[in-house]
Amino acid sequence: MVAQGGLGDESYNDYAYTGYQKGLKDNGLEGTPIESDDIVGQGEQVLRRAGDEGLGLVIDLEYSHAEILPKVAADYPDTDFALVNAEATGDNVVSVLFQEQEGSYLAGALAAIQTSNTSDPKINADKVIGVIGGAQSAGIDKFLVGYIQGARDTDPDVKVLTAYSNDFADPTKGQQLAQSMFDQGADIVYAVAGGTGAGVIQAAEDSNHYAIGVDANQDDVAPGFVLTTMLKRTDVAMETLLKDYKDGKFPGGETLNLGLAEDGVGLSDFANTKDAIGQETIDKIADLKQQIIDGDIEVWNVVEQGYPDYYSGQ
Amino acid sequence: MIDLLLASAITLSVPLVLAALGGAIHRRSGTVNIGLEAHMILGALIGAVVSGATGNWAAGALAGLVAGALSGLLMNLVITRLKGNEIIVGLGYNIVMFGVIGYVLRAVFGVSGTLQVDGLQRMPKLVIPGVADVPILGALISGKDPLFWLCVVLVPVLAWLLRSTTWGVRLRATGASEPASASLGLRTLAIRDGAGIVAGALAALGGVALSLGTVGLFNENMTAGRGYVALAAFYFGRSKPLPTALACLLFGFFDALQIRLQTVGGFNADIISTLPYIAVVVVLAFTGIRQHYRGARALS
Repeated sequence: MVAQGGLGDESYNDYAYTGYQKGLKDNGLEGTPIESDDIVGQGEQVLRRAGDEGLGLVIDLEYSHAEILPKVAADYPDTDFALVNAEATGDNVVSVLFQEQEGSYLAGALAAIQTSNTSDPKINADKVIGVIGGAQSAGIDKFLVGYIQGARDTDPDVKVLTAYSNDFADPTKGQQLAQSMFDQGADIVYAVAGGTGAGVIQAAEDSNHYAIGVDANQDDVAPGFVLTTMLKRTDVAMETLLKDYKDGKFPGGETLNLGLAEDGVGLSDFANTKDAIGQETIDKIADLKQQIIDGDIEVWNVVEQGYPDYYSGQ
Repeated sequence: MIDLLLASAITLSVPLVLAALGGAIHRRSGTVNIGLEAHMILGALIGAVVSGATGNWAAGALAGLVAGALSGLLMNLVITRLKGNEIIVGLGYNIVMFGVIGYVLRAVFGVSGTLQVDGLQRMPKLVIPGVADVPILGALISGKDPLFWLCVVLVPVLAWLLRSTTWGVRLRATGASEPASASLGLRTLAIRDGAGIVAGALAALGGVALSLGTVGLFNENMTAGRGYVALAAFYFGRSKPLPTALACLLFGFFDALQIRLQTVGGFNADIISTLPYIAVVVVLAFTGIRQHYRGARALS
């Protein structure tokens, strides 16, 4: 398993590594993480070295390897490769993509319902919610549009404020952006901005409102102030890949789409906010989840479909 | 609306003002401090960790200040005693500092990116009774943290120190001409080292303003280029305390404005977030043109 930017981030890489270790144990396989200080620049060397060692399966978490991976994979036909978060071609290459828009849809729906729940002291009278992206790109707007669609479908009167921090590691900017949204009547802000999101959660705590976390479970960062987290289950991806590999069903040449149905994305279990949200709403969200899985609700995917008419990305 | 905008502008300006004032002092002694970013991030980390360990923000801020002073001295020694080029040393120092902090985060704290410090105490917001509800004035001076007030005090004090004290005169003399000052018997290297210590300490407090002021956590890239903005600010302010601080306020104001305009909606995020930088360039151009004419008049 090739890590992206190193283990120990308590998020993407560690999450994947946990699933990787569990997958190894469950399937009686052996494996080791591969780290590099310059995973982008040294990508080809790292992958070739892994190929030279005659490894059976190499899982690559670095999405920027999408261009070099097919070349390397072609030179090592006896090794299987898997790339997470990007698509690469090749008979012995599997690409894993997450359907983040589906989880974000649920987050948006939940926020739209909760912003009208004025019996909750953290909720104001205004039907306004917000979302902050780390940078304006299709990969991030996929989350934003899913969230906006979820909110619109649930309650067309809810206004969704949007902003970009243009930095994934500036909590001060995150705090200021969120504060500015709270000042304009928002009470729930979804942060899709890595380390900048920590500032959004802080702002929620300071002004007694809610933040929604992303990727790894952030519900306990500020208990009670993180309404939920839109989880991206990299660990599930790892376990699935290893099991398929063990069973000899490695889907070479295919792309795995991990969405709500596969438990690849989803909301956290509302550990600290169950009472504030209420069982009725939780059931409603579970129902929406089932409708997405059944295909009754189609969630817009910016990466594949471009921008919808209600959000131009500006 | 205007109240909230002003309050936000000040919050965003405080870290810049502290770092830029440090850089300005250093500049007056003859050294351009490219390493402000490194001193800031170190101050932010030490401040957060010590505040967490002691449960006391003042201890955290003090520890950040001391760490920054040492860091400032270390970097300056390479420039003054080993005769390193100030630009290269500063750039290298930034790279090394961010590398070391990234390593320490992983090795000691077992995290990368965000460090949430248990028991961390943030700086208090000092609400002034009676003033807090006054429009504009309340937003400008009430509910601010102690480092804001330090800035308010530092600007006139530093200006006075530079203008009217022996230390200030010697510092400026060293900056104006090191050989001439040395020929008069001034210990110019020691004077420059002193200025380097002040720069490191103030920039580190700027970092503390981020990790204990605006938010209560650390992120290994949380300075986000503010050290470089501070660099531009003291050039802009010709290394004079008041104009330097005003330059930071100008930047902070437009940063707060772009944040508000973005969340109101209808503007392209990429374009609008360049607003603070464009504002700085425009004002720089105006001051440049004005000085040009003033210079021409003085000559004729």
